[in-house]
Amino acid sequence: MPPKYEYSVNEVPPFRHLIVLSLQHVFLMFVSVSLPVIFAGQINASVEFTTALVTFSMLAAGIGSILQAIRTRFIGSGYLCPNVCGPSYFSLSLSAMWMGGMPLMRGMIIIAGLMEVALAPVVQKLKHIFPNYVVGLVVALVGVSVINPSVTSMFGLAFQGDGISPVVVSVGFLTLAVMVLCNVWGKGIVKMYCLLIGMLAGWVVGLLVLPEARHALSAVGDAAWFAWPRMPWKVGKLAFDPKLLLPFMVIGISGSLKSLGNLLAAQHLSEPDLKEPDFKPIRNGLMADGLSTVLAGLLGGLAVDTSSSNIGLAGSTKVLSRWLAVAAGVIFILLAFFPKFTVLMSQMPRPVLGAAILFAGCFMIVTGLQEMLAGEWEVRRTFVVGIALFLGLSTAFQPGLYARAPRVIQAFFTDPLPTATILAVLLNQIVNLDRTWASLRRRWAGPSA
Amino acid sequence: MMRQIGFRATGMKWACGVLLGCLLFGVGCGRPVAVPGVERYDFRDTRNLLRWVYEASQVLEKDGLATMEAQFAGGGDDAGSYLYVYDMDGNCLFHGGMPELEMKNLSTVTDIDDKPILQLVHEALSDPKNPHGWIHYTWWRPGKFYPVPKSSCHFQVTLPDGREVFVGGGLDFPHEEREFVRIAVDSAVRLIEEKGEAAFDKIDDPASPYQYRDVRVFAFQPGVEMQISPVLGDTRLGMDLADCEDEVGHKPFGRAMEQLENESLSWQIFTAKSRGSRHLKKKILYLRKTELNGAPLYVGAITDLPQTP
Repeated sequence: MPPKYEYSVNEVPPFRHLIVLSLQHVFLMFVSVSLPVIFAGQINASVEFTTALVTFSMLAAGIGSILQAIRTRFIGSGYLCPNVCGPSYFSLSLSAMWMGGMPLMRGMIIIAGLMEVALAPVVQKLKHIFPNYVVGLVVALVGVSVINPSVTSMFGLAFQGDGISPVVVSVGFLTLAVMVLCNVWGKGIVKMYCLLIGMLAGWVVGLLVLPEARHALSAVGDAAWFAWPRMPWKVGKLAFDPKLLLPFMVIGISGSLKSLGNLLAAQHLSEPDLKEPDFKPIRNGLMADGLSTVLAGLLGGLAVDTSSSNIGLAGSTKVLSRWLAVAAGVIFILLAFFPKFTVLMSQMPRPVLGAAILFAGCFMIVTGLQEMLAGEWEVRRTFVVGIALFLGLSTAFQPGLYARAPRVIQAFFTDPLPTATILAVLLNQIVNLDRTWASLRRRWAGPSA
Repeated sequence: MMRQIGFRATGMKWACGVLLGCLLFGVGCGRPVAVPGVERYDFRDTRNLLRWVYEASQVLEKDGLATMEAQFAGGGDDAGSYLYVYDMDGNCLFHGGMPELEMKNLSTVTDIDDKPILQLVHEALSDPKNPHGWIHYTWWRPGKFYPVPKSSCHFQVTLPDGREVFVGGGLDFPHEEREFVRIAVDSAVRLIEEKGEAAFDKIDDPASPYQYRDVRVFAFQPGVEMQISPVLGDTRLGMDLADCEDEVGHKPFGRAMEQLENESLSWQIFTAKSRGSRHLKKKILYLRKTELNGAPLYVGAITDLPQTP
């Protein structure tokens, strides 16, 4: 019988394995480093500003990954669930930047982070509304949520509607093929390092066949070997705008729900023998996530979020050790001081990154579906899962539909993951009202009987 | 913990086969042509078209018209694209998409908006601000009957026999490149600096290269006069552009005008509402500053910013 893990959640791998396995996660985390670069490009920022934004985003993500992996009384889930720049915060942060510059953007990111912190204790009360099949659905939807970034990256798309080059696509599929081959037929370290091997193979082939990949490397030569992070903005200068309060609070709630899904998935993979979700580490994980976002705001980086792709990678390699997240966080922090390496890593061809996210996403979807369908199925669940999926996925298939909907609907029908999660939880309560009522009656009748 | 390391033999064969196949496929497909200035374009479609037309111009200059049929007949990378060659008098010498046009003189042909297409090509080829000879117009697809918006690039070539011709190719339903707006505004500034107020009639003409699709070049002197409005065909209704805000309270004109105190040009991103999308659409303003009758004159245009996928 194959082993459950190569390294379990509390196991510390030997040093060299720890470093290489962490690097594998760092490679995947680097996908999000493109966000501050795009952000800076969209505000026509100077090179100094761009460098600072990337550096402080990486510092916040690195520290956040460590906070998430440690296990204290109030902070840290203790799971391998690294932090990356959160794409869901991108547009709103950009609006804040245009309206009031860095002070406003930083102030509003802090608000979103505090919102997550405030929501964290509430999660423990949710114990009874998350049966295992709903947790499975949420885990599957965490995988579904990376479909768009993975596929568009794999096809090399930088912008909506752009042309697709067969050479670019072939690099993406080659990368994916190598990862799958290493994972299916590889053993030991080949299986454990499948993502790293695939990414390196894809990168080498990309350099051979993609002129833009070679051209991009020229930026590495211009970058310094070492640089202290410099803040072009004043640390104490923060601003807040009531007009942006509601949108940032909504995105904070949405971020919490996404992280809830990620943490449930991480828990399910790390502790599959749990009969039902243990919400204490989940609460502490959400606290760590919120505090990391606050830290990002204080430092001047983009808001951070837990990474679905890295949880998928952990599932695919059966390496769940949380110490990998600590090491990956430390590497991320160190890389912030070495611009040459940061630039080098950020030049990885887009289809290679896309293949890596797709690979990791596969495990999330299947793990979630297995969890969802385990145990006795009944028709009530069909409607809970079916309706949640129909309406949740419709936000991705028909985004235009919700653009004209009333504001209340717009606020809750945002992306498949938070929408389907809310719906599944609500529907599960509704279809089981008779049972809840019966149980309440028994409880009331009990003492007097 | 560590078990057997490596692959099963069949797995190894599979891996090698896939690796080799993809490598050969990739190497076979990847033959890039280096075109000066190609990095200015955001979209791959635009870059590919430019490389293709530029490659054709190099071949044409070296081997002449006879090679066109053999090497460049039919479509290019983008379905619907084809190449054409005209002499400088407007005689069609080669047409990859509509061979029936060959040997005809099209010098006076206009599109559905009355744009004189070949005249626009001549102007583009002689415009130093437009190094790749871009023009924007409407045409139709071979065998179809409805007008399609098109952007085409052109290169002037001297054939081995000494004749001057130009080769061009276009994209149907093209992407809105920032470079297109840069060309239109910079050319308009040049025209104003050469001709003064007389330039405004031409810039305001829908058949000119300064207006295409949703893009129109506008000009204004703050506190003095609005020469060409960005939103109306009429300039009598006043508006203080410097104070205008976008959907999130950003003042793109105000900020651009501040920036132009010290710099020669300004790009400002702003947001606009878009029907059918819950997210605000990102747009970009390109503004230049020049002088007219001793007072500062601002010339600019607005286009869509490429949206992330």
